[in-house]
Amino acid sequence: MAFLSNKAISEILYWVTRKKWLIISFILSISLFYFPSPEGLSSEGHRTLIIVMIVLILIISESIPLPAVAILILIMQVILGVDTPDGVASTFMSDAVFFIMGSLMLAVSIVSQGLDKRLALGIINITGNKTWRISVGFISVSAFLSSFIGEHTVAAMMLPVALSLIKNAGLPLDKSTQLSSLLLFSIAYGCVMGSIGTPSGGGRNVIMLGYLSEFGYGNISYVKWMLYTYPILLLEIPLASLVLWFSFTPKQRHLDSAIRKLKVNVAKSGKLDANQIIAIFLFIMVFLGWIFLSPLIGLGIVALSGVFLYLVFGLIDWKEISHNTNWGVILLFGAAISLGIQMKETGAALWVAEKALINLEVVFQDVTIVRWFVSVFLTSVLTNLLSNAATVAVMGPIVLDMGGDPMILGITTSVASAFGYLTIVASPTCMIIHSTGLINSRDYLKAGWKLFFISIVLLLLVSYLYWPLLR
Amino acid sequence: MKILIAVSSKKYSKPTLSVGMNVARAFKASTTIVDVGKKINEFSMKDVMMVQERVENWNIDRPGVDVLEWAFGYLAKNNFIEKNDIEAGFPKNTLVDTGSNRSEVYLKGTVCDNVNLIIRNGNVIDELKDEVQKFFYDVTIIGGSQRGNISHDLIQYIDSSIFVVNNFDLNKKYKILIAVNDSPNNRKAIKYGVRIAQAFGASVEAITVSKTNHFGEGYKKAVKWCKKLLRRSNISFNHKFLTGDASSVINKEAGDNRIIVMGSSTKNPLLKFIAGSKPLEVMKNCNCPILIVK
Repeated sequence: MAFLSNKAISEILYWVTRKKWLIISFILSISLFYFPSPEGLSSEGHRTLIIVMIVLILIISESIPLPAVAILILIMQVILGVDTPDGVASTFMSDAVFFIMGSLMLAVSIVSQGLDKRLALGIINITGNKTWRISVGFISVSAFLSSFIGEHTVAAMMLPVALSLIKNAGLPLDKSTQLSSLLLFSIAYGCVMGSIGTPSGGGRNVIMLGYLSEFGYGNISYVKWMLYTYPILLLEIPLASLVLWFSFTPKQRHLDSAIRKLKVNVAKSGKLDANQIIAIFLFIMVFLGWIFLSPLIGLGIVALSGVFLYLVFGLIDWKEISHNTNWGVILLFGAAISLGIQMKETGAALWVAEKALINLEVVFQDVTIVRWFVSVFLTSVLTNLLSNAATVAVMGPIVLDMGGDPMILGITTSVASAFGYLTIVASPTCMIIHSTGLINSRDYLKAGWKLFFISIVLLLLVSYLYWPLLR
Repeated sequence: MKILIAVSSKKYSKPTLSVGMNVARAFKASTTIVDVGKKINEFSMKDVMMVQERVENWNIDRPGVDVLEWAFGYLAKNNFIEKNDIEAGFPKNTLVDTGSNRSEVYLKGTVCDNVNLIIRNGNVIDELKDEVQKFFYDVTIIGGSQRGNISHDLIQYIDSSIFVVNNFDLNKKYKILIAVNDSPNNRKAIKYGVRIAQAFGASVEAITVSKTNHFGEGYKKAVKWCKKLLRRSNISFNHKFLTGDASSVINKEAGDNRIIVMGSSTKNPLLKFIAGSKPLEVMKNCNCPILIVK
């Protein structure tokens, strides 16, 4: 160290403390690489699991940028001999990645149209000025809309409405209050709940559909998915409304003056303009495309067609799409899906699934409960630590290799990955409301744990009592 | 000379801003006031940016703007910025996104070249370190409420002098307590102490602490130089030789009505990382503002 200046040593120490999880994962991966492969696991499967472990550590610790994690997944697959460069490239791009890319671009295109003021007027015309009705309205509208388009799109349109109401109610926008918590959680949890409603509600649903098709378990149509999941969503709305109201009961039972000011503000924006009408029309076309054309051309291509039309009609320019689209997330999900496929191909997923079944069967005595425990409980815990789409990308191949009905387990896993009520990182909408500065981390637990358990019980009941009727 | 003042809220940051601007005035320093907001998870970064743009369309400020607006009000009230800027009001529309989660507003200063107001988002240490590294600040001033568990990282990683405005009461009269020793950073610390004493119109108490009763030549020379400078600067002062553990003696002498000024440790950073240092010990345990000069 004598040849280094104090400043250089200090910089190295800073890097080491900030990147300690990267260093730990590197050391762990080298140690595990030289360990003999466990019985029943191929050497490729062994190496694939090393990559999975590193990826989980790096995503949770956020010690390197997400795009760097994505690139690392691709590099390690080749360097560790899991697959050839061409093989990795072919698993990297799929309709699910097209969908994630298309829906992120669509979100930018839709949000930029300024439809939020129209939406605000629509909601308050239905709900009136009672606070509890406004909260129920926020949950219902957020859930309904986010069942068709990405939850972040809905949150981006709903959040200004809520903040405007809070401001017009004379409350500070730099301090958390019961009213701000109630309205903001109504949006966030409404969006999270809604995202299970249709395949296009969230990238993770499409990832799961992609796995089902890739692994040869067949396809689920857009409408069939809705038949499975929409009842859960409809049941969750009143339950979530009650939980949120009793967790964050505000002093303000009526928001008369806030509503009046909001109406005046919205009235200033005038009637829908031509671009907004075209934007709505195009989105309806995309929605119909998802229902009727996706079995033929895929959900991703439909989403990209929508983006194409928004660009062609001049509703948005490429610069804005390019600037506001999170390319790092697209790269990461592409890489995570590629890793998921390798888990299946190398037998790593099957090995983990078998080990889980053997070990957990000792605890639960019943294989059905074990499958349910893994697909629902572990998924919903992991989704609160990781992110919902990354959770499905990792858990999907394991769950589908656990035996039982893959369709049911696949949908269950996808639905459970939406139970991200407990932490800020669980879903984009949770992070969006946190970024307002009006929500503390402990507020997520206040109502979140109740909704977490209610949702699990609801999923259990619906999957045992209702889903068999659909078979 | 460039000074960075980190504020966090209207409620708690008034002493930090007040002390910071007084120091800026003393050094005629170009000053930047920064509010470091919550860290945004990378998965949601673009979504949050998109939402903030929509929210601004509804004439609702994003988090942090209210803190800068409050800081602007303070600067205007105390004439730290030019009249034209004051009359134009807080220019939130000129808050320019300069990339890396950083937005900035420029104001023309009166007692110093300029006063910039910026918002950053992320981990406090990471953001302050990045700001200091990119824009070469000499002193970083931060509130005591933010001190918490970050004292170590502040001293270890921020490449500027650190002024922690801990328990500062705007109505109280403070003296400046300068720790004099033979360390390489000590002369700079004494010079800073003198400027701050002038800015606050305060007298100076200089102390030299040794573990034993023996005070080496280096210490004696440093004391002589310190006294000479204080006399030349027309500052009322006294000096004491004290015996004991340096960090506990300094904290005991400081109480809650002194501003401690001391040089940073020049030990190898690796040793400091493992075993800590005297300035770190003093900073962790002191009950008053402290400036560690690097």
